[in-house]
Amino acid sequence: MMFSLRRVNAIFQKDYKEFSRNMAVSSVIFMPPILAAIYGRMGIDSIESHYLIINMTFAMITAYVQCCLIAEEKEKNTLRGLMLSPATTGEILSGKSLLSFLLTGVVIVISAFLSEYKPENITVVAIAIILSSFFYIGLGTLLGLFAKSVMEASVLVIPAMILFSFGSFITKLAVQYPILKVANYLPNIQLIELATEVENGAHFGDVLSQLAGIIIWVMIIWLLTVVTYRKRMVD
Amino acid sequence: MGNIIEVKSLEKIFANKSAIESVDFTVKKGEIFGFLGPSGSGKTTTIKILTGQLNPTSGMAKVFGEPVSKLKNPEYRQRFGVLTDNSGLYSRLSIYDNLKLYCKLYDAPLSKIDEVLAIVNLNEAKLKKVSTLSKGMMQRVTLARALIHEPELLFLDEPTSALDPTNSLHIHEGLRALNAKGTTIFLTTHDMQEADTLCDRIAFLNRGKIQLLDTPNKLKQSYTNSTMTVELTSGEKVTLPTGADGAHELFAYMKAEEIVTIHSNEPTLGEVFVQVTGRKLA
Repeated sequence: MMFSLRRVNAIFQKDYKEFSRNMAVSSVIFMPPILAAIYGRMGIDSIESHYLIINMTFAMITAYVQCCLIAEEKEKNTLRGLMLSPATTGEILSGKSLLSFLLTGVVIVISAFLSEYKPENITVVAIAIILSSFFYIGLGTLLGLFAKSVMEASVLVIPAMILFSFGSFITKLAVQYPILKVANYLPNIQLIELATEVENGAHFGDVLSQLAGIIIWVMIIWLLTVVTYRKRMVD
Repeated sequence: MGNIIEVKSLEKIFANKSAIESVDFTVKKGEIFGFLGPSGSGKTTTIKILTGQLNPTSGMAKVFGEPVSKLKNPEYRQRFGVLTDNSGLYSRLSIYDNLKLYCKLYDAPLSKIDEVLAIVNLNEAKLKKVSTLSKGMMQRVTLARALIHEPELLFLDEPTSALDPTNSLHIHEGLRALNAKGTTIFLTTHDMQEADTLCDRIAFLNRGKIQLLDTPNKLKQSYTNSTMTVELTSGEKVTLPTGADGAHELFAYMKAEEIVTIHSNEPTLGEVFVQVTGRKLA
């Protein structure tokens, strides 16, 4: 059976309508732009501050919204309806991810504009941000599959939000606690490293290791997500 | 006519407790097959196995001639529809938007929405938000959703349990029309009247085992006590055997023009179930 964009689009449209009527979840999209506007007005212009906003967008919007979208389907027993339909795993997961992906893109662009972040090499940074968003969508989907309700999803996603929004602070503590050096391999830290290199004049070929690091995270999280999803298809 | 469902020695055990054991039956293409039993008898477990939502512990279950494990294949999912008691709806969307999603998922034309809403008597409410609907209306929407792609095989788990008699009758008509077009229906219900009027064959499930399987008429006939009740003009009710002995007496009453009504004393399906299982359907 062919991959059906019609089915992906149908799931996306349904999610968009439901999301736009769910203020409890949709209101989080205003947080990063507000923070970005404050940073912009205060004249804060470091890579860490720009990426605090971007990583916060990933954690608060990409992962959280995605997690809630999946958890709500489970809570209302609608995910089973999708699973029993002719839509493939790929079509369902793509359709369910599209809204979070587009929201992430729009919020990051608006936040970057408000905080006056202008990357030296926008193509490389855009690729890294798109890859990172795949990781956070996978993370949100995985957590959503484990949650039984939106309420539970909101709790489950908190550690991820802390780890990935403020991960750069953890690396600062690594001097005191060497074990925390492992945080350097997290996708959010890889993204900050890549952005720092780009600001120092690095080109695509110079940041391959950071991109590879993010890609490995994407592959691991989506492998776990697809396996978990398939398990959820059967009681 | 070929079998659309074949089940042999099917067993499902949950945490050392058997939900169904040694279940055998077949469902012929084009029939309405009733699966009757009290709560906890294994009806929903059987539907879940037959729709690929649950793996059996042992035994064989085939749908469309293929093992149920193949139902994970999207091509097979296009061919059946399911309504279970926990089928969910998108509460922030309208009835129309809920059905539109499923039209697109099943590649059905949007014109089907009005058609299925007519079957469940909900055409006038199609723009209502699902969150504002009563339980019965929601049940009708989930039924409409299961019908949207005109499946070859329809699994209905208590489809009229939350409905009033008028809407139940309306849905019975819709199901008969769908069946006349060729859809096979696998129906679980508590409603003996519903089973009696809709089903071509019925299986009684009790404590995970099939106790009886036949047409409603044969089930009732095989448990009849072969008597009839004659109501006389005097108001007296006389019970007579249906054989030759009763015929003479009946003839005498007829000759004397004393008869008001004659009723055969065949049991209802509910009574047959109680006789067979010693349990009430609830």
